[in-house]
Amino acid sequence: MKKTSVVALSILGIVVGTPLVSPAGPKNDGRPDGGTLGYGEYGRPSTLDPITSNEMVSLRITELVFSGLVGIDEKQEIVPELAERWEMSKDGRIHTFYLRKDVMWHPKEGEEPKPFTADDVVFTYNIMMHPKTITPLKVRYEFIEKVEKLSDYAVQFTLKRPILNALAKFSFKVIPKHGPSNSLYLTRDDPFVQHPIGTGPYILKTITTDREIVLVANESYFKGRAHINKFISKPFADQNILTQALMFNAIDMVVRVNPRDVPELQGDKRFILQPYNALSYAFFGYNLRNPLLADKRVRKAFTYAVNRQEMLDSFFNGAGTIISGPFAPGSWAYNLDVQPLPFDAEKAIALLREAGFAAGPDGIMQKDGKKLALSLKVPIEKESEAVKRVVLAFQNYLKHVGVAIKVEFEEWQAWKETAFLEHDFDIIFASWVFDDSADISSLFHSAEIGPWRNNFGAYSNPEVDGLIVESKLTLDHEKRRTINRKLHAILADEAPYTFLWALTNYSGYHKKLRRVAIHPYKFFSFADEWFIPVPDQK
Amino acid sequence: MKLAAIRPITLALSRELVLTALLLLGVSLVVFVILYLAPGDPFSVLLEGQTLSHEARAGIREALGVPKTWYAQYLSWLGGLLRGNFGTSMRTGLPVFGEIVRVGLSTLYLTLGSMLVTLLIAVPIALHSSVRGATALNWPLTMLAYLVSALPVFWLGYVAIYVSIHQFGVFPLISRVSTSPEPAWLYSLLPICVLGIGNGTIGEVVRYLREEMSRVMAEDYIRTARAKGASVWRHAFKEGFLIPMTEIIAAKIPFILGGAVIVEQVFNWPGMGRMAWQAAQDRDFPVIMGIAMIAAMWVRVGSLVQRVVYVVVNPRASRERRGVGRAE
Repeated sequence: MKKTSVVALSILGIVVGTPLVSPAGPKNDGRPDGGTLGYGEYGRPSTLDPITSNEMVSLRITELVFSGLVGIDEKQEIVPELAERWEMSKDGRIHTFYLRKDVMWHPKEGEEPKPFTADDVVFTYNIMMHPKTITPLKVRYEFIEKVEKLSDYAVQFTLKRPILNALAKFSFKVIPKHGPSNSLYLTRDDPFVQHPIGTGPYILKTITTDREIVLVANESYFKGRAHINKFISKPFADQNILTQALMFNAIDMVVRVNPRDVPELQGDKRFILQPYNALSYAFFGYNLRNPLLADKRVRKAFTYAVNRQEMLDSFFNGAGTIISGPFAPGSWAYNLDVQPLPFDAEKAIALLREAGFAAGPDGIMQKDGKKLALSLKVPIEKESEAVKRVVLAFQNYLKHVGVAIKVEFEEWQAWKETAFLEHDFDIIFASWVFDDSADISSLFHSAEIGPWRNNFGAYSNPEVDGLIVESKLTLDHEKRRTINRKLHAILADEAPYTFLWALTNYSGYHKKLRRVAIHPYKFFSFADEWFIPVPDQK
Repeated sequence: MKLAAIRPITLALSRELVLTALLLLGVSLVVFVILYLAPGDPFSVLLEGQTLSHEARAGIREALGVPKTWYAQYLSWLGGLLRGNFGTSMRTGLPVFGEIVRVGLSTLYLTLGSMLVTLLIAVPIALHSSVRGATALNWPLTMLAYLVSALPVFWLGYVAIYVSIHQFGVFPLISRVSTSPEPAWLYSLLPICVLGIGNGTIGEVVRYLREEMSRVMAEDYIRTARAKGASVWRHAFKEGFLIPMTEIIAAKIPFILGGAVIVEQVFNWPGMGRMAWQAAQDRDFPVIMGIAMIAAMWVRVGSLVQRVVYVVVNPRASRERRGVGRAE
């Protein structure tokens, strides 16, 4: 807390010190303005506002167009954005934000730009929480009790209960009161969702008939005009051609390079491959409703039986980290002291024997006449090629220890019903993507067992339940870390999943782009600082 | 045109229009029921990316004001359609009709272009072999046409991309309206040629046209024309060329549209096929329904044009058909 207030004060100092100079305008940091950046996206965005949109392509656009009350810098620390400073009451329930007075909304066509005020913040919160607004954000902001406007440039949030790291949650993007045509709730029918108005470094200019999205630098961006003149988001229908498009200069950047194309770009001096962590991991999840899988020795045997490193190396060029537990390895909650189980087929067989299984005449392990034959349900996703290899390898590894796996591929929506509603599976293959809160409560708490709940495998352990609740309630970061490390150790041992890996994402871009810093999942958070040297601007 | 020629056309047309309306109604009902029965919930695309909860799922229909039963949903969709409203996309919130018109034009460009390519290849081969019989020149060409027709279009597409990138150093997947220095239409040649060659119709056009042409050539009136020294071609044109051509084109529209779905995907072509593919993945039913309607209409218009040509060329045909209609 102390650190942030120091930052806020020094910013104040600048504003007060130069009252006549509007901070909007060029950055004056000695780096050149100009140039265009075309980046390739796999698939097209749905909506372009920060509230109704719910996929990554849209998220990246909104990151360029909108700003939050606070931002997060490259060191993951909280910095002022639309709010220039803030205060927290002693009990941690009341947060007051003092807003910048020099922020203007992007101009609407044929209209004067309007100033950003506290009304917009209140409006954003209210529209976000309206029951008729469908947004993934709602669950994240249920901890707020109410929001009040204190003056044109001050807002006060009252929380239901104090929570840890509350400040980071105020990085939600603010939308203008004069934006949506319906001022109560926001649906995808509202013209605003395709013609967003923000306060961010880039203004949405046009969407071409090919759904290419053209964004131009906001001359009066409050942190100083972004260096690169134009961002163009280009949609591609096939992931395999994105790298080719980059190599033929059809685009300057690929947000996420297909893992199998990484070596090709690595050898090419014209391009830079920049790794970034995604808070995500893949796993095989077990259905504990099946009595055969209710025994933790069986689940652990499966984990011993698969050679995860070999799969990672051969299917993803080794670009990732094998994990041992339920947190993403980029997260502060991950327990590095817990080592992933090694590949050991002998040990796997020994564990299965210990659990009462013996090899039958057909080589398949059985117990009390019940064969260890299981169904594995896999969703057909966009990047199904690598997934296919992983599940077939899994099937093969388990065959070697006497387990018969029947792989069934299902279409994405159908798979979700199978896994989360009907629970008609023995094993599923899937991945989780996390935000920075490292909250796993919905995955393993026994209260989360049921239709459309995330504890699909019906894992239930009172000790884990207790730790999850304790972790949620504590306000002490170190204490929460300790609890999460303990959770990690228990879940690694209980193996409700065979935890696989967190893949390293690579962004590939032309080396003319300089000072590129990438936010793990929002991606473009620092794009206003990127620049292209004058000779390369063409 | 004489009045006598117009009357049968209007009669034939109005009959066809009624049939078209019934057909579209049938198509819409079948597609809707299939969508309804298919696994997966169209509304879950709105919830993608958030933790699942039963309440959110239940609440979403209420929030959007969606009728509960499938037939009420269908009727409300149909009601909208009759008022000229195709609805809005679940995913993007954009009006479906405007979106389909936008991408439909580029699909039209692709399909018409590829049809032209098909005909440019097939017609000369067919005509040559029907007039001259099997010769050393046209027999291998005919065989080649059959062979090419059998190539799967996605394979041909990837081969074409591979060759143009690695042999010619040209990247063929830049969108048509992008700001690249080369003329954009140049890039659209490749997908058009691939679909024209790979849609599997060349072989059939060759065979059908050759047979029809040979049949007509053997007719008495052609022999008469030939005997009196008149132009055989002019006499054979209507029955031997125009009618079979329109027939085969009308019959092949669905196949070309199907091929377009794949070609658009492979070549990053912003058309209706790609939109249909995306919509199917998202269960975006207003878009799927809209595309199904437009595609059905398209196929129907193709066969309507064929009928009109047939009647114009041969007014007697419509009278015959009306006779049959009365007998039923």
